[in-house]
Amino acid sequence: MAAEYPGSVRAARRGDLQQLVDLRMRFLGETAHEEPRLRLLPDARQRTEQALPVWMGQDDRVLLVAETPAEGDEEHGELVGYAMGFLNVWPPVFQSQHVGEIAECYIAESSRGKGLGGALVKLLTEVLLGRGATVLRAAVPVTNPGARAQLDAAGYAPLQFVMERRLNAL
Amino acid sequence: MEGVPIRNARRGDIPSLLLLWQAMMKELSDMDARFAPHPRAREHMANELAKWLQDPNRHVVVAEEGGRLLIGFASAVKSPGNGWQIPSQVARITDCYVIGPRRRNGVGRRLAGRLLDVLYEDGIDTVRLSVAAKDPGAHAFWSSMGWDNLEEILEKDVEPS
Ligand SMILES: CC(C)(COP(=O)(O)OP(=O)(O)OC[C@H]1O[C@@H](n2cnc3c(N)ncnc32)[C@H](O)[C@@H]1OP(=O)(O)O)[C@@H](O)C(=O)NCCC(=O)NCCS
Repeated sequence: MAAEYPGSVRAARRGDLQQLVDLRMRFLGETAHEEPRLRLLPDARQRTEQALPVWMGQDDRVLLVAETPAEGDEEHGELVGYAMGFLNVWPPVFQSQHVGEIAECYIAESSRGKGLGGALVKLLTEVLLGRGATVLRAAVPVTNPGARAQLDAAGYAPLQFVMERRLNAL
Repeated sequence: MEGVPIRNARRGDIPSLLLLWQAMMKELSDMDARFAPHPRAREHMANELAKWLQDPNRHVVVAEEGGRLLIGFASAVKSPGNGWQIPSQVARITDCYVIGPRRRNGVGRRLAGRLLDVLYEDGIDTVRLSVAAKDPGAHAFWSSMGWDNLEEILEKDVEPS
């Protein structure tokens, strides 16, 4: 499947772990910078280091990476982005039970605008559909209109707002 | 309506709670067909409600008129955060419903207020909830009490039509 995006988008491998940790910390850091209500806990990196190898081994989770090929070395490109999704099977409350969640998608700033984010989402979608998803969902912070516009363009429509209230001001 | 008592739900409320929950689901799915209930939703929820009333992380409160008629309910659940972003403990309001003829009398505000009081006493400082994008009334209700949008959830239907 990755052949559609020559050398650029593929499933994550064990050897990607260290670069994936760095990319995810950049993603979470940028999100926190834009939205202080999603700022990082002090041990976020450590937890990411612990979680990623576990996620990689889980059947319901999909981890993809985007890489730019290193000259003359097809095996070891530089990772410039990643996407993570999972298939969530909800209890029988609503008719849609098999929900493919697009949880995270990130492309390093210098590699944006080349279609890599779109390629990651397209491949993630294909994998989630192949695993039985009947609807796809993505949560976007209200401070990220860029991601919102991208999902709009990909045919996503608003379903819900997540609202928050802090209680120290009661 | 100011005087309608708000109290914790108890086992004997389950049949009324189930009716209120079904009415809430019907309104929601009439507003947005993507929230159509599963054919087994009622049966599932009857079991869930019994579990909710025994769950120490769950609060269920009801508004009772005339000492016998439930005219609304609200529920919240506490859970750990995701582990990398604040908060490290979060509560979610999962349900808040007042029957149509009793709306705009402050009952919803009092149900939500009672939940927030209890959660505050539990040491929770961040509470979240989801509101349907096609329900501007519910959005206005929460906004009027100081709630702000954090995220938008977008959906794409991929089921073959
Ligand atoms: C949302 C709901 C719980 C509100 O209950 P309620 O008892 O009518 O709410 P209150 O009377 O306490 O309203 C408090 C304030 O919220 C705002 N508000 C409530 N409903 C509103 C509406 N439909 N449109 C605009 N503002 C509204 C108003 O500012 C109101 O104060 P006011 O009446 O003095 O102007 C009720 O409408 C309901 O059950 N709706 C269907 C289920 C639902 O959508 N639940 C929320 C799921 S997240």
